[in-house]
Amino acid sequence: MGDSPYWNPKFETAPKARLQELQLAKWQRLVEYAAQRSPFYAAKFTGAGFEPSQLKTLDDVRRIPCTTKEEWLGTQAENPLFGDLLTAPEPVATRYHLTSGTSGRTPLRVLDSTRDWAWISEIWAYGLWGFGVRPTDVVYLAFSYASFIGFWGAHYGCEKIGALTLASGNLPTETRVRQIVELGVTTVCATPTYALRLGAVAHEMGIDLATESKIDKVVLGGEPGANIPATRRLITEALGGRCGDFAGMTEIGTNMVVECSHAPGGPHIVEDHIYEEVVDPLSDRPCAYGERGERIVTSFGRALLPLIRYRAGDLVERAPHTDCTCGRTFDLYRGGILGRADDMKVVRGTNVFPSSIEAVVRDYPEVDEFQIEISYQGGRDEITVRVELGAAPGGTADDLPDRLGKDLQECHEGLRFLIDVVGAGALPRFELKSRRLVDLREQRVGA
Amino acid sequence: MTADEFDMLGQALSPVEAELLDLYARSKALLARDGLDPCVRRNLVQSTAALSQVVTDLGIAWEPLYDLGV
Repeated sequence: MGDSPYWNPKFETAPKARLQELQLAKWQRLVEYAAQRSPFYAAKFTGAGFEPSQLKTLDDVRRIPCTTKEEWLGTQAENPLFGDLLTAPEPVATRYHLTSGTSGRTPLRVLDSTRDWAWISEIWAYGLWGFGVRPTDVVYLAFSYASFIGFWGAHYGCEKIGALTLASGNLPTETRVRQIVELGVTTVCATPTYALRLGAVAHEMGIDLATESKIDKVVLGGEPGANIPATRRLITEALGGRCGDFAGMTEIGTNMVVECSHAPGGPHIVEDHIYEEVVDPLSDRPCAYGERGERIVTSFGRALLPLIRYRAGDLVERAPHTDCTCGRTFDLYRGGILGRADDMKVVRGTNVFPSSIEAVVRDYPEVDEFQIEISYQGGRDEITVRVELGAAPGGTADDLPDRLGKDLQECHEGLRFLIDVVGAGALPRFELKSRRLVDLREQRVGA
Repeated sequence: MTADEFDMLGQALSPVEAELLDLYARSKALLARDGLDPCVRRNLVQSTAALSQVVTDLGIAWEPLYDLGV
Protein backbone atom coordinates (compact mmCIF):
# COMPACT_ATOMS: atom_id res chain seq x y z
CA MET A 1 0.00 0.00 0.00
CA GLY A 2 2.99 2.25 0.63
CA ASP A 3 2.72 5.92 1.40
CA SER A 4 0.87 6.98 -1.73
CA PRO A 5 -1.32 10.01 -1.05
CA TYR A 6 -3.64 8.66 -3.75
CA TRP A 7 -5.98 5.70 -3.50
CA ASN A 8 -5.77 5.09 -7.25
CA PRO A 9 -2.77 7.01 -8.59
CA LYS A 10 -3.25 5.62 -12.12
CA PHE A 11 -6.28 7.80 -12.71
CA GLU A 12 -6.22 10.34 -9.87
CA THR A 13 -3.11 11.81 -11.48
CA ALA A 14 -3.77 10.88 -15.11
CA PRO A 15 -3.45 13.57 -17.77
CA LYS A 16 -6.82 15.17 -18.46
CA ALA A 17 -7.00 13.76 -21.99
CA ARG A 18 -6.53 10.22 -20.71
CA LEU A 19 -9.16 10.75 -18.03
CA GLN A 20 -11.57 11.93 -20.69
CA GLU A 21 -10.80 8.87 -22.83
CA LEU A 22 -11.73 6.70 -19.87
CA GLN A 23 -14.91 8.68 -19.27
CA LEU A 24 -15.97 8.23 -22.89
CA ALA A 25 -15.27 4.48 -22.77
CA LYS A 26 -17.39 4.16 -19.63
CA TRP A 27 -20.14 6.37 -21.06
CA GLN A 28 -20.41 4.18 -24.15
CA ARG A 29 -20.69 0.98 -22.13
CA LEU A 30 -23.13 2.52 -19.65
CA VAL A 31 -25.66 3.86 -22.16
CA GLU A 32 -25.51 0.66 -24.21
CA TYR A 33 -26.25 -1.36 -21.09
CA ALA A 34 -28.99 0.97 -19.82
CA ALA A 35 -30.70 1.00 -23.23
CA GLN A 36 -30.70 -2.79 -23.33
CA ARG A 37 -31.68 -3.50 -19.75
CA SER A 38 -33.61 -0.60 -18.20
CA PRO A 39 -37.12 -0.04 -19.61
CA PHE A 40 -37.05 3.48 -18.14
CA TYR A 41 -33.89 4.52 -19.99
CA ALA A 42 -34.81 2.58 -23.14
CA ALA A 43 -38.04 4.57 -23.40
CA LYS A 44 -36.31 7.81 -22.47
CA PHE A 45 -33.59 7.41 -25.10
CA THR A 46 -36.09 6.40 -27.77
CA GLY A 47 -38.33 9.33 -26.90
CA ALA A 48 -35.43 11.73 -27.36
CA GLY A 49 -34.26 10.10 -30.57
CA PHE A 50 -31.00 9.07 -28.96
CA GLU A 51 -29.20 5.85 -29.79
CA PRO A 52 -26.12 4.70 -27.88
CA SER A 53 -24.16 4.41 -31.15
CA GLN A 54 -24.42 8.22 -31.48
CA LEU A 55 -22.15 8.71 -28.47
CA LYS A 56 -18.78 9.15 -30.16
CA THR A 57 -17.31 12.06 -28.18
CA LEU A 58 -17.95 13.59 -24.77
CA ASP A 59 -19.71 16.47 -26.54
CA ASP A 60 -22.32 13.92 -27.65
CA VAL A 61 -23.28 13.41 -24.01
CA ARG A 62 -25.54 16.43 -24.35
CA ARG A 63 -27.66 14.48 -26.86
CA ILE A 64 -28.79 12.31 -23.95
CA PRO A 65 -31.91 13.61 -22.20
CA CYS A 66 -31.59 14.61 -18.56
CA THR A 67 -33.34 12.68 -15.82
CA THR A 68 -35.16 14.35 -12.94
CA LYS A 69 -36.08 13.35 -9.43
CA GLU A 70 -39.74 13.75 -10.40
CA GLU A 71 -39.28 11.13 -13.13
CA TRP A 72 -37.71 8.70 -10.64
CA LEU A 73 -40.49 9.26 -8.14
CA GLY A 74 -43.07 9.02 -10.91
CA THR A 75 -41.91 5.66 -12.21
CA GLN A 76 -41.61 4.33 -8.65
CA ALA A 77 -45.16 5.47 -7.88
CA GLU A 78 -46.55 3.94 -11.08
CA ASN A 79 -44.76 0.64 -10.68
CA PRO A 80 -43.76 0.13 -7.03
CA LEU A 81 -41.28 -0.31 -5.56
CA PHE A 82 -38.59 0.60 -8.06
CA GLY A 83 -40.41 1.59 -11.22
CA ASP A 84 -38.94 0.73 -14.61
CA LEU A 85 -35.43 1.77 -13.66
CA LEU A 86 -33.88 -1.57 -12.71
CA THR A 87 -31.56 -3.31 -15.15
CA ALA A 88 -31.84 -6.72 -13.46
CA PRO A 89 -34.38 -8.53 -11.28
CA GLU A 90 -34.66 -7.38 -7.66
CA PRO A 91 -33.30 -10.58 -6.04
CA VAL A 92 -29.73 -9.71 -7.10
CA ALA A 93 -29.89 -6.75 -4.70
CA THR A 94 -28.37 -6.97 -1.25
CA ARG A 95 -29.10 -3.45 0.00
CA TYR A 96 -32.15 -1.20 0.08
CA HIS A 97 -32.01 2.46 1.09
CA LEU A 98 -34.40 5.41 0.98
CA THR A 99 -33.99 9.14 0.96
CA SER A 100 -34.73 10.78 4.27
CA GLY A 101 -37.80 12.54 2.86
CA THR A 102 -36.96 15.73 4.74
CA SER A 103 -38.47 17.83 1.97
CA GLY A 104 -41.84 16.30 2.84
CA ARG A 105 -42.03 14.33 -0.38
CA THR A 106 -42.27 10.62 -0.99
CA PRO A 107 -38.91 9.01 -0.25
CA LEU A 108 -36.89 7.87 -3.24
CA ARG A 109 -35.95 4.18 -3.14
CA VAL A 110 -32.66 2.66 -4.26
CA LEU A 111 -31.36 -0.90 -4.57
CA ASP A 112 -27.78 -2.09 -4.77
CA SER A 113 -26.11 -5.39 -5.54
CA THR A 114 -22.84 -6.64 -4.07
CA ARG A 115 -20.98 -5.13 -7.02
CA ASP A 116 -22.71 -1.76 -6.61
CA TRP A 117 -21.95 -1.69 -2.92
CA ALA A 118 -18.29 -2.50 -3.60
CA TRP A 119 -18.27 0.59 -5.82
CA ILE A 120 -20.06 2.78 -3.26
CA SER A 121 -17.56 1.93 -0.54
CA GLU A 122 -14.73 2.36 -3.07
CA ILE A 123 -15.64 5.96 -3.79
CA TRP A 124 -15.72 6.64 -0.07
CA ALA A 125 -12.30 5.00 0.15
CA TYR A 126 -10.98 7.36 -2.58
CA GLY A 127 -12.09 10.32 -0.50
CA LEU A 128 -11.20 9.05 2.95
CA TRP A 129 -7.74 8.06 1.78
CA GLY A 130 -7.22 11.40 0.07
CA PHE A 131 -8.33 13.16 3.24
CA GLY A 132 -5.73 11.24 5.22
CA VAL A 133 -7.53 8.24 6.75
CA ARG A 134 -5.11 5.32 7.07
CA PRO A 135 -5.16 1.78 8.52
CA THR A 136 -3.78 3.18 11.78
CA ASP A 137 -6.83 5.40 12.28
CA VAL A 138 -9.71 4.75 14.67
CA VAL A 139 -12.85 6.00 12.96
CA TYR A 140 -16.06 6.72 14.86
CA LEU A 141 -19.31 6.93 12.92
CA ALA A 142 -21.76 9.09 14.85
CA PHE A 143 -24.60 7.87 12.71
CA SER A 144 -27.80 5.94 13.42
CA TYR A 145 -27.48 3.25 10.70
CA ALA A 146 -31.09 3.29 9.54
CA SER A 147 -32.56 3.26 6.03
CA PHE A 148 -31.05 6.65 5.08
CA ILE A 149 -27.83 5.84 3.23
CA GLY A 150 -25.84 8.61 5.00
CA PHE A 151 -22.55 7.24 6.30
CA TRP A 152 -23.21 3.57 5.51
CA GLY A 153 -20.77 3.74 2.60
CA ALA A 154 -18.23 5.54 4.77
CA HIS A 155 -18.33 2.65 7.24
CA TYR A 156 -17.51 0.14 4.52
CA GLY A 157 -14.96 2.49 2.96
CA CYS A 158 -13.13 2.75 6.30
CA GLU A 159 -13.13 -1.05 6.65
CA LYS A 160 -11.78 -1.33 3.10
CA ILE A 161 -8.93 1.03 4.00
CA GLY A 162 -8.22 -1.11 7.04
CA ALA A 163 -9.02 1.49 9.70
CA LEU A 164 -10.55 0.40 13.00
CA THR A 165 -14.19 1.27 12.34
CA LEU A 166 -16.59 1.91 15.20
CA ALA A 167 -20.36 2.03 14.71
CA SER A 168 -22.27 4.01 17.32
CA GLY A 169 -25.82 3.13 16.26
CA ASN A 170 -28.41 4.91 18.37
CA LEU A 171 -26.21 5.54 21.38
CA PRO A 172 -26.91 8.74 23.34
CA THR A 173 -24.61 11.64 22.60
CA GLU A 174 -23.07 11.49 26.10
CA THR A 175 -22.03 7.85 25.54
CA ARG A 176 -20.59 8.72 22.16
CA VAL A 177 -18.50 11.51 23.70
CA ARG A 178 -17.12 9.13 26.33
CA GLN A 179 -16.33 6.46 23.73
CA ILE A 180 -14.55 8.94 21.48
CA VAL A 181 -12.20 9.78 24.34
CA GLU A 182 -11.84 6.29 25.83
CA LEU A 183 -11.32 4.45 22.53
CA GLY A 184 -8.71 6.85 21.16
CA VAL A 185 -10.81 7.91 18.19
CA THR A 186 -8.82 9.85 15.57
CA THR A 187 -11.52 10.42 12.96
CA VAL A 188 -15.19 11.29 13.45
CA CYS A 189 -17.81 10.98 10.71
CA ALA A 190 -20.94 13.08 11.32
CA THR A 191 -23.23 15.69 9.86
CA PRO A 192 -22.01 19.24 10.53
CA THR A 193 -24.97 19.78 12.84
CA TYR A 194 -24.24 16.69 14.86
CA ALA A 195 -20.51 17.40 15.03
CA LEU A 196 -21.39 20.71 16.69
CA ARG A 197 -23.80 18.86 18.99
CA LEU A 198 -21.04 16.47 20.04
CA GLY A 199 -18.87 19.43 20.95
CA ALA A 200 -21.67 21.14 22.89
CA VAL A 201 -22.60 18.03 24.88
CA ALA A 202 -18.95 17.31 25.62
CA HIS A 203 -18.64 20.86 26.93
CA GLU A 204 -21.66 20.31 29.21
CA MET A 205 -19.98 17.12 30.46
CA GLY A 206 -16.83 19.05 31.28
CA ILE A 207 -14.88 17.40 28.45
CA ASP A 208 -12.88 19.39 25.90
CA LEU A 209 -12.70 17.08 22.89
CA ALA A 210 -10.20 19.38 21.21
CA THR A 211 -7.62 18.68 23.91
CA GLU A 212 -8.80 15.50 25.62
CA SER A 213 -9.43 13.34 22.54
CA LYS A 214 -7.14 12.23 19.70
CA ILE A 215 -9.43 13.53 16.98
CA ASP A 216 -7.44 14.99 14.08
CA LYS A 217 -9.95 14.55 11.24
CA VAL A 218 -13.68 15.20 10.97
CA VAL A 219 -15.49 13.77 7.94
CA LEU A 220 -18.61 15.83 7.29
CA GLY A 221 -21.54 14.88 5.09
CA GLY A 222 -25.22 14.07 5.02
CA GLU A 223 -26.40 17.69 4.86
CA PRO A 224 -25.16 21.10 3.72
CA GLY A 225 -22.83 23.00 6.02
CA ALA A 226 -19.52 21.21 5.57
CA ASN A 227 -18.53 23.85 3.04
CA ILE A 228 -19.27 26.86 5.26
CA PRO A 229 -15.96 28.18 6.65
CA ALA A 230 -17.48 29.50 9.90
CA THR A 231 -19.18 26.15 10.59
CA ARG A 232 -15.97 24.25 9.87
CA ARG A 233 -14.04 26.56 12.17
CA LEU A 234 -16.51 25.98 15.01
CA ILE A 235 -16.31 22.21 14.53
CA THR A 236 -12.52 22.27 14.50
CA GLU A 237 -12.51 24.36 17.68
CA ALA A 238 -14.96 21.99 19.37
CA LEU A 239 -13.56 18.64 18.27
CA GLY A 240 -9.97 19.41 17.45
CA GLY A 241 -9.73 17.94 13.94
CA ARG A 242 -9.57 19.46 10.50
CA CYS A 243 -12.83 19.19 8.54
CA GLY A 244 -13.47 17.57 5.18
CA ASP A 245 -16.50 18.08 2.95
CA PHE A 246 -17.86 14.77 1.58
CA ALA A 247 -21.03 15.70 -0.28
CA GLY A 248 -23.11 12.86 -1.64
CA MET A 249 -26.64 11.90 -2.52
CA THR A 250 -28.83 8.83 -2.18
CA GLU A 251 -29.47 8.75 -5.93
CA ILE A 252 -25.77 8.10 -6.55
CA GLY A 253 -25.28 6.06 -3.39
CA THR A 254 -22.03 7.64 -2.33
CA ASN A 255 -20.11 10.88 -2.14
CA MET A 256 -19.36 12.33 -5.55
CA VAL A 257 -16.92 14.96 -4.34
CA VAL A 258 -14.13 14.52 -1.83
CA GLU A 259 -11.90 16.97 -0.04
CA CYS A 260 -8.19 16.17 -0.13
CA SER A 261 -5.76 16.86 2.69
CA HIS A 262 -4.51 20.03 0.94
CA ALA A 263 -7.86 21.71 1.73
CA PRO A 264 -7.95 23.76 -1.48
CA GLY A 265 -11.23 25.46 -0.64
CA GLY A 266 -13.46 22.91 -2.26
CA PRO A 267 -13.78 19.20 -2.89
CA HIS A 268 -12.49 17.30 -5.92
CA ILE A 269 -14.89 15.53 -8.28
CA VAL A 270 -14.11 11.79 -8.50
CA GLU A 271 -13.85 12.10 -12.25
CA ASP A 272 -12.91 8.55 -13.18
CA HIS A 273 -16.12 7.20 -11.64
CA ILE A 274 -18.55 10.11 -11.77
CA TYR A 275 -19.22 12.48 -14.65
CA GLU A 276 -20.25 15.96 -13.60
CA GLU A 277 -21.61 18.69 -15.84
CA VAL A 278 -22.46 22.24 -14.76
CA VAL A 279 -25.12 23.99 -16.81
CA ASP A 280 -27.17 27.14 -16.74
CA PRO A 281 -30.41 25.93 -15.09
CA LEU A 282 -32.60 27.81 -17.55
CA SER A 283 -30.85 27.36 -20.90
CA ASP A 284 -28.87 24.15 -20.19
CA ARG A 285 -25.84 25.91 -21.67
CA PRO A 286 -22.61 24.44 -20.27
CA CYS A 287 -21.02 26.75 -17.72
CA ALA A 288 -17.37 27.77 -17.90
CA TYR A 289 -14.99 27.42 -14.97
CA GLY A 290 -16.01 29.79 -12.19
CA GLU A 291 -19.54 30.25 -13.49
CA ARG A 292 -22.31 29.21 -11.13
CA GLY A 293 -24.72 26.60 -12.46
CA GLU A 294 -26.63 23.43 -11.72
CA ARG A 295 -24.93 20.05 -11.36
CA ILE A 296 -25.91 17.27 -13.74
CA VAL A 297 -24.47 13.99 -12.54
CA THR A 298 -23.86 10.59 -14.12
CA SER A 299 -22.60 7.59 -12.19
CA PHE A 300 -20.34 5.05 -13.85
CA GLY A 301 -20.68 2.83 -10.79
CA ARG A 302 -24.15 1.85 -9.65
CA ALA A 303 -25.73 0.08 -12.64
CA LEU A 304 -28.64 -1.87 -11.16
CA LEU A 305 -30.23 1.58 -10.92
CA PRO A 306 -28.30 3.65 -13.45
CA LEU A 307 -28.05 7.37 -12.85
CA ILE A 308 -27.66 9.11 -16.18
CA ARG A 309 -27.57 12.90 -16.60
CA TYR A 310 -29.50 13.44 -13.37
CA ARG A 311 -30.46 17.00 -12.53
CA ALA A 312 -29.22 17.22 -8.96
CA GLY A 313 -30.53 20.72 -8.28
CA ASP A 314 -27.27 21.67 -6.56
CA LEU A 315 -25.64 24.98 -7.38
CA VAL A 316 -21.87 24.79 -7.92
CA GLU A 317 -18.89 26.57 -9.45
CA ARG A 318 -16.40 24.27 -11.15
CA ALA A 319 -12.70 25.08 -10.90
CA PRO A 320 -9.72 23.51 -12.68
CA HIS A 321 -7.65 20.90 -10.87
CA THR A 322 -4.72 23.31 -10.95
CA ASP A 323 -6.43 25.27 -8.16
CA CYS A 324 -5.18 22.53 -5.84
CA THR A 325 -1.58 21.53 -5.24
CA CYS A 326 -2.29 17.91 -4.33
CA GLY A 327 -1.40 16.56 -7.77
CA ARG A 328 -4.82 15.15 -8.61
CA THR A 329 -6.10 15.98 -12.06
CA PHE A 330 -9.68 15.92 -10.81
CA ASP A 331 -11.44 19.29 -11.04
CA LEU A 332 -12.95 20.92 -7.96
CA TYR A 333 -16.15 22.57 -6.89
CA ARG A 334 -14.98 25.87 -5.45
CA GLY A 335 -16.68 26.29 -2.08
CA GLY A 336 -18.41 22.90 -2.37
CA ILE A 337 -22.14 22.65 -2.96
CA LEU A 338 -23.18 26.29 -2.76
CA GLY A 339 -26.89 25.69 -2.33
CA ARG A 340 -29.85 24.00 -3.86
CA ALA A 341 -32.02 25.64 -6.45
CA ASP A 342 -35.09 24.40 -4.58
CA ASP A 343 -33.79 25.64 -1.19
CA MET A 344 -33.98 29.24 -2.30
CA LYS A 345 -36.69 31.40 -0.75
CA VAL A 346 -37.75 34.78 -1.98
CA VAL A 347 -38.46 37.23 0.83
CA ARG A 348 -39.64 40.67 -0.26
CA GLY A 349 -37.88 40.20 -3.58
CA THR A 350 -34.55 39.06 -2.13
CA ASN A 351 -33.19 35.56 -2.77
CA VAL A 352 -32.43 33.85 0.53
CA PHE A 353 -30.53 30.58 0.93
CA PRO A 354 -30.36 28.81 4.31
CA SER A 355 -26.65 28.20 3.68
CA SER A 356 -25.93 31.92 3.32
CA ILE A 357 -27.72 32.63 6.61
CA GLU A 358 -25.78 29.84 8.32
CA ALA A 359 -22.54 31.31 7.02
CA VAL A 360 -23.30 34.52 8.94
CA VAL A 361 -24.80 32.95 12.08
CA ARG A 362 -21.83 30.60 12.54
CA ASP A 363 -19.56 33.61 12.86
CA TYR A 364 -21.16 34.11 16.28
CA PRO A 365 -19.59 31.46 18.54
CA GLU A 366 -22.09 32.25 21.30
CA VAL A 367 -24.92 30.93 19.11
CA ASP A 368 -25.48 27.27 19.92
CA GLU A 369 -28.42 26.58 17.61
CA PHE A 370 -30.61 28.58 15.29
CA GLN A 371 -33.81 28.41 13.28
CA ILE A 372 -35.09 30.46 10.36
CA GLU A 373 -38.79 31.26 10.15
CA ILE A 374 -40.40 32.99 7.21
CA SER A 375 -43.93 34.22 7.77
CA TYR A 376 -46.53 36.55 6.30
CA GLN A 377 -47.46 39.30 8.75
CA GLY A 378 -49.25 42.58 8.32
CA GLY A 379 -49.43 42.23 4.58
CA ARG A 380 -45.80 41.36 3.94
CA ASP A 381 -43.17 38.66 4.33
CA GLU A 382 -41.01 38.65 7.44
CA ILE A 383 -37.91 36.58 8.13
CA THR A 384 -36.94 35.79 11.71
CA VAL A 385 -33.77 34.10 12.90
CA ARG A 386 -34.21 32.50 16.32
CA VAL A 387 -30.96 31.93 18.16
CA GLU A 388 -30.23 29.89 21.22
CA LEU A 389 -27.12 30.91 23.08
CA GLY A 390 -24.61 28.47 24.48
CA ALA A 391 -21.76 28.73 26.89
CA ALA A 392 -19.15 29.72 24.33
CA PRO A 393 -17.03 32.70 25.36
CA GLY A 394 -17.24 36.09 23.73
CA GLY A 395 -20.12 38.47 23.11
CA THR A 396 -23.24 39.00 25.12
CA ALA A 397 -26.89 38.51 24.37
CA ASP A 398 -27.49 42.23 24.89
CA ASP A 399 -26.12 43.50 21.62
CA LEU A 400 -26.21 40.24 19.66
CA PRO A 401 -29.60 40.86 17.99
CA ASP A 402 -28.39 44.20 16.63
CA ARG A 403 -25.03 42.90 15.44
CA LEU A 404 -26.41 39.72 13.88
CA GLY A 405 -29.34 41.53 12.28
CA LYS A 406 -26.99 44.05 10.66
CA ASP A 407 -24.61 41.36 9.39
CA LEU A 408 -27.47 39.37 7.88
CA GLN A 409 -28.92 42.52 6.32
CA GLU A 410 -25.58 43.42 4.74
CA CYS A 411 -25.34 39.98 3.14
CA HIS A 412 -28.89 40.07 1.79
CA GLU A 413 -29.26 43.27 -0.20
CA GLY A 414 -30.56 45.22 2.79
CA LEU A 415 -33.31 42.76 3.69
CA ARG A 416 -34.37 43.29 7.32
CA PHE A 417 -34.06 40.25 9.59
CA LEU A 418 -35.83 39.95 12.94
CA ILE A 419 -33.66 38.33 15.60
CA ASP A 420 -35.24 36.44 18.45
CA VAL A 421 -33.07 35.15 21.32
CA VAL A 422 -34.74 32.07 22.83
CA GLY A 423 -34.04 30.10 25.98
CA ALA A 424 -31.70 27.14 26.31
CA GLY A 425 -33.12 23.97 24.78
CA ALA A 426 -35.93 25.77 22.97
CA LEU A 427 -34.79 24.81 19.47
CA PRO A 428 -34.73 21.29 18.04
CA ARG A 429 -31.45 19.37 17.61
CA PHE A 430 -30.75 17.09 14.68
CA GLU A 431 -28.55 14.07 14.14
CA LEU A 432 -29.21 13.67 10.45
CA LYS A 433 -30.46 16.23 8.02
CA SER A 434 -31.21 19.42 9.88
CA ARG A 435 -34.47 21.26 9.23
CA ARG A 436 -33.72 24.78 10.34
CA LEU A 437 -35.96 26.61 7.90
CA VAL A 438 -39.68 26.88 8.54
CA ASP A 439 -41.70 28.67 5.88
CA LEU A 440 -45.06 29.43 7.44
CA ARG A 441 -46.22 31.04 4.19
CA GLU A 442 -46.59 27.53 2.75
CA GLN A 443 -49.05 26.70 5.54
CA ARG A 444 -51.33 29.70 4.98
CA VAL A 445 -54.84 28.80 3.89
CA GLY A 446 -55.25 29.90 0.32
CA ALA A 447 -51.59 30.81 -0.01
CA MET B 1 -0.68 -9.59 -27.54
CA THR B 2 -4.37 -10.47 -27.36
CA ALA B 3 -7.24 -8.07 -26.76
CA ASP B 4 -7.18 -9.14 -23.12
CA GLU B 5 -3.72 -7.68 -22.72
CA PHE B 6 -4.90 -4.10 -23.21
CA ASP B 7 -6.91 -1.82 -20.98
CA MET B 8 -10.08 0.05 -21.98
CA LEU B 9 -7.97 2.78 -23.55
CA GLY B 10 -5.89 0.39 -25.64
CA GLN B 11 -2.82 0.60 -23.41
CA ALA B 12 -0.81 -2.54 -22.71
CA LEU B 13 -1.46 -4.04 -19.29
CA SER B 14 1.29 -4.14 -16.70
CA PRO B 15 2.18 -7.58 -15.33
CA VAL B 16 0.12 -6.92 -12.19
CA GLU B 17 -2.85 -5.73 -14.24
CA ALA B 18 -2.66 -8.79 -16.50
CA GLU B 19 -2.66 -11.03 -13.45
CA LEU B 20 -5.62 -9.19 -11.95
CA LEU B 21 -7.57 -9.52 -15.18
CA ASP B 22 -6.80 -13.26 -15.26
CA LEU B 23 -7.98 -13.67 -11.65
CA TYR B 24 -11.14 -11.73 -12.44
CA ALA B 25 -11.90 -13.89 -15.49
CA ARG B 26 -11.32 -17.10 -13.52
CA SER B 27 -13.46 -15.86 -10.64
CA LYS B 28 -16.35 -15.11 -13.04
CA ALA B 29 -15.94 -18.48 -14.73
CA LEU B 30 -16.14 -20.25 -11.37
CA LEU B 31 -19.25 -18.31 -10.40
CA ALA B 32 -20.97 -19.30 -13.63
CA ARG B 33 -20.84 -22.98 -12.67
CA ASP B 34 -23.89 -24.78 -11.36
CA GLY B 35 -24.08 -26.61 -8.06
CA LEU B 36 -21.69 -24.49 -6.02
CA ASP B 37 -22.21 -24.83 -2.28
CA PRO B 38 -23.53 -21.72 -0.54
CA CYS B 39 -20.23 -21.00 1.15
CA VAL B 40 -18.44 -21.21 -2.20
CA ARG B 41 -20.94 -19.16 -4.17
CA ARG B 42 -21.47 -16.35 -1.68
CA ASN B 43 -17.78 -15.89 -0.96
CA LEU B 44 -17.05 -15.93 -4.69
CA VAL B 45 -19.69 -13.23 -5.13
CA GLN B 46 -17.78 -11.09 -2.65
CA SER B 47 -14.36 -11.73 -4.19
CA THR B 48 -15.64 -11.24 -7.74
CA ALA B 49 -17.18 -7.93 -6.75
CA ALA B 50 -13.87 -6.85 -5.24
CA LEU B 51 -11.92 -7.90 -8.34
CA SER B 52 -14.48 -6.20 -10.55
CA GLN B 53 -13.85 -3.00 -8.59
CA VAL B 54 -10.10 -3.23 -9.04
CA VAL B 55 -10.26 -3.80 -12.80
CA THR B 56 -12.74 -0.93 -13.06
CA ASP B 57 -10.52 1.39 -11.02
CA LEU B 58 -7.57 0.58 -13.26
CA GLY B 59 -9.56 1.11 -16.46
CA ILE B 60 -9.10 -2.51 -17.51
CA ALA B 61 -12.78 -3.47 -17.73
CA TRP B 62 -16.25 -2.13 -17.02
CA GLU B 63 -19.21 -4.46 -16.87
CA PRO B 64 -22.24 -5.11 -14.67
CA LEU B 65 -22.31 -8.61 -13.19
CA TYR B 66 -25.94 -8.95 -12.14
CA ASP B 67 -26.46 -12.05 -14.30
CA LEU B 68 -23.85 -13.76 -12.15
CA GLY B 69 -25.62 -12.61 -8.99
CA VAL B 70 -22.89 -10.08 -8.14
